[in-house]
Amino acid sequence: MHGRVKVRTTEEERARKEKERQEKLKIYKHAMQQIFHKRKEGELDKNLLELTGKVLSSNPDIYTLWNIRREILIILKKADESEEEMSQLYDAELQLTEYCLKINPKSYCAWHQREWVLTTRANPNWEKELSLCNMYLKFDERNFHTWDYRRFVVSQCKPPLKDEFDFTTDKLMDNFSNYSAWHYRSKMLVELYPDVEGGRPIEDSHHKHELKMVQSAAFTDPDDTSAWFYQRWLLGAVKTNIEVAVYTVSPLKTTVAFSKPVNQTYVASKIRLFINNDLVNGEWQSCSGNQYDVLWIFKHNTDVTDSLDVKMEYDNENGDVQKIPGVKQNGNTYVGKGEIDFQRKYSKPVIEELINQLDSCRQLLAMEPDNKWTLLTTTVFLHCIDAKQYHKEIIENLHTLKTIDSWRAGYYDDLITKWSLEDQLAIDYKSDSIDFKIKFDDKITSLPHLQYYSHCENVDLSNQNLSSNVLASLELLQNCKKLSLANNQLTTLQRFPNLNLEELNLTGNNDLDQEELEVFKKNCNYSVIF
Amino acid sequence: MDDDLPTDFQVIVVGTGMVESIVAAACSRIGKNVLHLDSSDHYGGLWASYNFDGLQKFIKEVNSDPKRQLQVYNLAEKWYIEKESAQDEKKEEGGEEKPEEAKAEPAKKIWSQANFSAEYRKFNIDMTPKLLFSRGPLVELLISSNIARYAEFRCVTRVLTWLNDRLMPVPCSRADVFATEAVGIVEKRQLMKMLTSIVGYNEEEMNNEFKDWNDKTFKEYLAHKGLTPNLIHYVLYAIAGGTNNMPCLEGVKECKKFLMSLGRYGNTPFLWPMYGSGELPQCFCRLCAVFGGVYCLNRPIDKVQTKTVDEGKTVVTIDSKSKTLNCDHLVIGINECPKDLISPEPAESSDISKAVFITNGSIMKSDKEPLTLLRFPPQSDDDHAVTVLEVGPATGSCPKGLFVVYFITNKVKDAESDLMGIAEKIFDMSGGDQTAESEKPKCLWSLFYNVKDTSAAVASVADCVHVCSGPDAGLDFDRAVEQAEQIFKKICPGEEFLPRAPDPEEIVFEDDVTHGPEFQREHDDEAEGDAPKE
Repeated sequence: MHGRVKVRTTEEERARKEKERQEKLKIYKHAMQQIFHKRKEGELDKNLLELTGKVLSSNPDIYTLWNIRREILIILKKADESEEEMSQLYDAELQLTEYCLKINPKSYCAWHQREWVLTTRANPNWEKELSLCNMYLKFDERNFHTWDYRRFVVSQCKPPLKDEFDFTTDKLMDNFSNYSAWHYRSKMLVELYPDVEGGRPIEDSHHKHELKMVQSAAFTDPDDTSAWFYQRWLLGAVKTNIEVAVYTVSPLKTTVAFSKPVNQTYVASKIRLFINNDLVNGEWQSCSGNQYDVLWIFKHNTDVTDSLDVKMEYDNENGDVQKIPGVKQNGNTYVGKGEIDFQRKYSKPVIEELINQLDSCRQLLAMEPDNKWTLLTTTVFLHCIDAKQYHKEIIENLHTLKTIDSWRAGYYDDLITKWSLEDQLAIDYKSDSIDFKIKFDDKITSLPHLQYYSHCENVDLSNQNLSSNVLASLELLQNCKKLSLANNQLTTLQRFPNLNLEELNLTGNNDLDQEELEVFKKNCNYSVIF
Repeated sequence: MDDDLPTDFQVIVVGTGMVESIVAAACSRIGKNVLHLDSSDHYGGLWASYNFDGLQKFIKEVNSDPKRQLQVYNLAEKWYIEKESAQDEKKEEGGEEKPEEAKAEPAKKIWSQANFSAEYRKFNIDMTPKLLFSRGPLVELLISSNIARYAEFRCVTRVLTWLNDRLMPVPCSRADVFATEAVGIVEKRQLMKMLTSIVGYNEEEMNNEFKDWNDKTFKEYLAHKGLTPNLIHYVLYAIAGGTNNMPCLEGVKECKKFLMSLGRYGNTPFLWPMYGSGELPQCFCRLCAVFGGVYCLNRPIDKVQTKTVDEGKTVVTIDSKSKTLNCDHLVIGINECPKDLISPEPAESSDISKAVFITNGSIMKSDKEPLTLLRFPPQSDDDHAVTVLEVGPATGSCPKGLFVVYFITNKVKDAESDLMGIAEKIFDMSGGDQTAESEKPKCLWSLFYNVKDTSAAVASVADCVHVCSGPDAGLDFDRAVEQAEQIFKKICPGEEFLPRAPDPEEIVFEDDVTHGPEFQREHDDEAEGDAPKE
């Protein structure tokens, strides 16, 4: 009949495709055989370049072949190929990678090969690379390979950072669901707009602008987590100093706890211990044995006796010398406490913006009280603005979050633990007590900030929700004598640290293995109650 | 030449409007023997696009032919610029006196009527400008039938509305909502929440959620949901394209249609055909021709009769240019259709008011050349909304420096009174100095006209005669596609509607397949050829 077109049936089509595939496979196998044979014979020449190039153009991810090509190029360069010749070879290499990246824009080895060529050859054309990045990011704005490569190119050719910053703005306006772009933006932000005067990471007006931008994204699509991550980063971009939390000088041991992990050089150069106005010499060892630690042990030979004048000097980050006197406790132990303040310190304009955003959140919350993201953000804002004043509301919110977002109940429990402890610490640090007991109703699930209690001799962690995962961190209780972990959820004592205790209470941990307990008890030189 | 034309066909299609062309393509595609005629010398009928010359000819023809004024009437063409350009004259006089000045500041071109005539081929002005929803039935049909390869599209770049006496971009996509500064942060959440909930409803949930809203308006629903007046404006007028009286469920459905088409091609849900909507009927005609359909333009028909032959079979005979053509099925555009074939007379319906403007700039400045849909909300409660489409040179609609703007609304009085008020809001209609800096673009030329609304489905007197509707006032082609499919199903029951046409590389060229090479030749022929002759 007229006008009828004959089309291959699916069966014919399949047979044809299969035949093609077999044909390709044959060619591929042959080529690979040839390549490995040549390499074995040491024939690293242009012919091998050609052979590997052919295979790579259809299989860009065979990194062995890229390695062989680098070998060849290095040999050719050593073998006195002319500048011009080498330049052509490098150009060809770039062309090959570009071709391969068109087939697979996420080919690790092709991007790597490109990076290698550009760092190896003379006079690389970085501008061209930057426009290549632009092109690939136009095709796929979320390809982290390209973002990664872009950072490499930018580190080499150093274009104006403002251009890069604006580039992230463009990309985010197209699609803000882009971790790479937000991340790159954060890097640009602290480079471009640091707060020189106030010493904060980001200058006020930009900090404010970013907060607004990210709020807009978060409210447009709360289920997209990329914006929340950036918001958390922005909220965390505050100046935090390394502070001395507490030090303890006892006849047995001298320890110093810091707010953040520090290394030995830092401790040795910033901390001076005086006993009766004599500088004590000794050696610093980290509590955990790691290079950086929040708790440092000072090994010295000075006897710690009654009626001493104990004093610590700390060259703090503001350039001041902070003098912390030691207060005598029972049994010739001297404890000195630094000032603690967990409140994040924002500039006034940023605080105003946060208050503003808190207000929007509250409005929304009135409309949709069960929206997890709105409630969580409200809570985070409250904590950032004034953790102490809003403490009760914050904890209430976290309890609500546990029910409306039950999949993340553990996360909220940890937040309750952390923020309640911060609240309690402020009170505890006002007294000279060397006892530590949880004074709020919620059961703790983790042991954050434990170094702040490193001076305590009686630590009561009974009736909490602690699991065996937290045992290792008990190492920070270097001066503890009586420790109670009664009525928790411990299942094993495998990671229980080596402590100089007098008494350990493990009663009420019903999942603990009796046999393990017996062995544990045998190895301890203190009394274990269970 | 007439003598070459065979006389017996399975299907004869008269008129090359959108519906007729789709039916012709569908019949030809499954092997029906199709003849496609049009009384005029171009494709598309009332769906056509004209270059500036063609448009002038069209205006002249209509104005001089009372019969054609049954379809198109109240044509009012007006120039706002000089016949000859003073600039050109100056150039001739002044010679090369001021070349530096000209270089220093590429002043806005001063257009004259003569310029328009000189560049007439660069215009493609639509009689029935329409958009395609990116996930609407026409786009899906173009893809599934592989007819998309004959067409090119551009994405509509923005949706505007008229709010607080000025043009405002409508945040319709996620990226827009994120970027806009026109709505507050709480509003952003509200808007996104409303839009996502509408997208999420399936048929059942929709009926459930809205069971108590049957007799209420969409506006009431939006207000009930706590949306601010600004947001109600965006959702009701710009996204749903509605009026204050729009029933709730209809509003929800329109919104859903809009939203479902987001994110497929561009930042808005719409596509615009390159070189105008008039291209689309031609794409279907081409497929029809590729599969052997015979084309004759400039071929009016004189008389149509139905005859019952042996075995109770009915045939249609058509007299055309002293030749009698026979077919089993006649598909005929309503405007070509003899009155006696229509039964009963279509009910009175509201006609359409339309206008075309050519301006020297976009209605709202933009970095890149914009392609705009503006839905102008009704100015009063019983007023109609006006659809405004602005297309620029990148769409192949006009020369560089100009924009073509279409207005479409339901007729109240006549096109000029219905639309002039809005034109004055967004254009400078005063003529005068084209180089003057102003907020609004200058209108250089305008055409107002009314079209009889022939979009209602029409029954015919005989089962073998199928009458195709004319263009409606709607934004998209959806009704045309739907109707074409219905007609096809009647002619060819049980057959697939426009199955995918093979690509050239899928076609087997063997010596024993005689028609292969001919297909190849026809396919490569890019020109909008008249008729493939067998």
